[in-house]
Amino acid sequence: MSEKNIIQIKNLTKIFGDGVEIKALDDVNLNIEQGEFLAIVGPSGSGKSTLLNQIGILDSPTSGTILLDGIDVTKMSDKQRSITRNKQLGFIFQYHHLLPDFNALENVMMPLLINGVKRSKARKIASQMLEEVGLGDRLKHRPNQLSGGQNQRVAIARALVNKPGIVIGDEPTGNLDSKASDNIYELLRKLNREHNQTFILVTHDERMAAKTDRIIRIVDGKIAEDSLNGNSD
Amino acid sequence: MFELDVATRHIKSRRRQTLFSVIAVSLAVGIIIIFMSMMGGYTSILIDSTTENQAHITIMPKEGEDYIHLYHGLENYVYDLEGVKGVSSYFQGEAALQYKHNAEGVLLYGINPEDENRVVNRDKYMLAGEFASIENPGSRMILGFKLAKNLDVGMSDTVTAQIPGADPTDFTITGIFQTGTPVDETMAFVNLERLQDFYGSGDVITGMGIRISDAYAADTTANGIDRETGYDAISWMEQNAEILTLLETSEGMVYFFYIIIFGISGFGVANVLIMIVMEKMGEIGMLMAMGTSRRSIMLIFLLEATILGMMGVVVGCILGYLASAAIASITIPIPPDMYFGMDHLPVVIEFKNFITASIFAMVINIIAGVFPARRASKMDPVEAIYSV
Repeated sequence: MSEKNIIQIKNLTKIFGDGVEIKALDDVNLNIEQGEFLAIVGPSGSGKSTLLNQIGILDSPTSGTILLDGIDVTKMSDKQRSITRNKQLGFIFQYHHLLPDFNALENVMMPLLINGVKRSKARKIASQMLEEVGLGDRLKHRPNQLSGGQNQRVAIARALVNKPGIVIGDEPTGNLDSKASDNIYELLRKLNREHNQTFILVTHDERMAAKTDRIIRIVDGKIAEDSLNGNSD
Repeated sequence: MFELDVATRHIKSRRRQTLFSVIAVSLAVGIIIIFMSMMGGYTSILIDSTTENQAHITIMPKEGEDYIHLYHGLENYVYDLEGVKGVSSYFQGEAALQYKHNAEGVLLYGINPEDENRVVNRDKYMLAGEFASIENPGSRMILGFKLAKNLDVGMSDTVTAQIPGADPTDFTITGIFQTGTPVDETMAFVNLERLQDFYGSGDVITGMGIRISDAYAADTTANGIDRETGYDAISWMEQNAEILTLLETSEGMVYFFYIIIFGISGFGVANVLIMIVMEKMGEIGMLMAMGTSRRSIMLIFLLEATILGMMGVVVGCILGYLASAAIASITIPIPPDMYFGMDHLPVVIEFKNFITASIFAMVINIIAGVFPARRASKMDPVEAIYSV
């Protein structure tokens, strides 16, 4: 594993609500190295998704800093955040959020097109990526023609197609049965090994968390436990 | 341009809403084109008949005077002006006409038929006889057909004209005209010299009619004559100021209705887009997560408004054209003495109406798209993603 800290979180606090204030994140400090495969666990409402959204710069903190690859993303303009999300971050959510009017290939092409990659090149890269997640024969299928597990695979291909340094997954297997979950987990693990990308998965599936390299347990907006699992290579 | 891809897919996937909003826009565009064509038809028929049936410019005596003296010099001066096609000096006076037991008040016009025909084509309106029959200063008269009817006179009958302070004079009817306007009931033509004689006025006129090649230049030419000669030159626009003001006012009113009609269709488009934005919240959130800028999100929905608008405009233009052409081809039985002898609805299909209606519709559609587009672009990605 590389020793480079791809994510550095310092004194991160997030307070929701005006009037009744809820401290979703309370002075969180966290470093994550490149290539790590880690799980964020904790009871619902503990702040784990909030932390993930902060890392994904979908949301801004109340105070504190987040450095992605050494750059403070909390000081970025809206436009820079969009560009950073496009190039450095891949997202997988519990619901696949595929665009229903586009087929699998077109969905995976989308981050490339947003990035300004030429259509023909995007098509090539996207079909390779779909091949890699095992859907080489489903390129022209629309989300409503695919199973839950297949759609989630398309979503993974889409999250990884721009070769982001960081892939974040919020309950990526939350909607799937245990067999499909295992398959997705295996796929994520494989991709992590092959591309040395950093995977951060929020889950309350302890069984799945146990298979990651590092578990960060969040309780009431604070890191309650940060342990290595001994699963790493 | 992935924004266009997303926009077109959204529209394609919402066939029914798309259809309704396209119908709304196309009906608005179509109706407005029909309106414009009909308005244009009425306006042009009104203006054409006005400029055709009266002198473009009329020169009146100087203020405080009853006559234009030495008018031959004025005639020559006017003839030399640019664009002047005809000049007709006339002497106008009121008189009573009597035939047997019938009597009617009339306006007698003393003219030279050849000159007069160059200013207003009187030949065209002759029901019986020749306009040129009053060429020579004889006691001959041409009158309107309603006047003839009221007096119960026909061709070759003799009527008696009376004015205070002059001997009654007999005139023979050598022509009857019909214009379809109120002058048919009040006007009679006599040779100019004969009428000057009758009134004992000497060689003077009470006015001069002028026809020019470009009717719309009448104002400028009239002003020039005014300045140069000191006579009171009045253009047909000035003479018909009320009609023209009325036309302008009604056009303004009609535009007000256009805005309302377009507004309604705009709401239709806005409605469809608001629905798409609501339905696609999760999608919008995901697009943002993938790195789509707020500007691009806005663009997607503005493009959708534009596409919906364009489809509506194309269909509406075709609809408007077909309907206008259909209306123009319908022959309707209108008595010819009414409405300037029209026998069908006046419709002028003009290219500029299509352009105006289309631009109008597009602008309103894009405005209608701004609200939903802004709403989509201002979404909090986290909220949008977790809304599903």
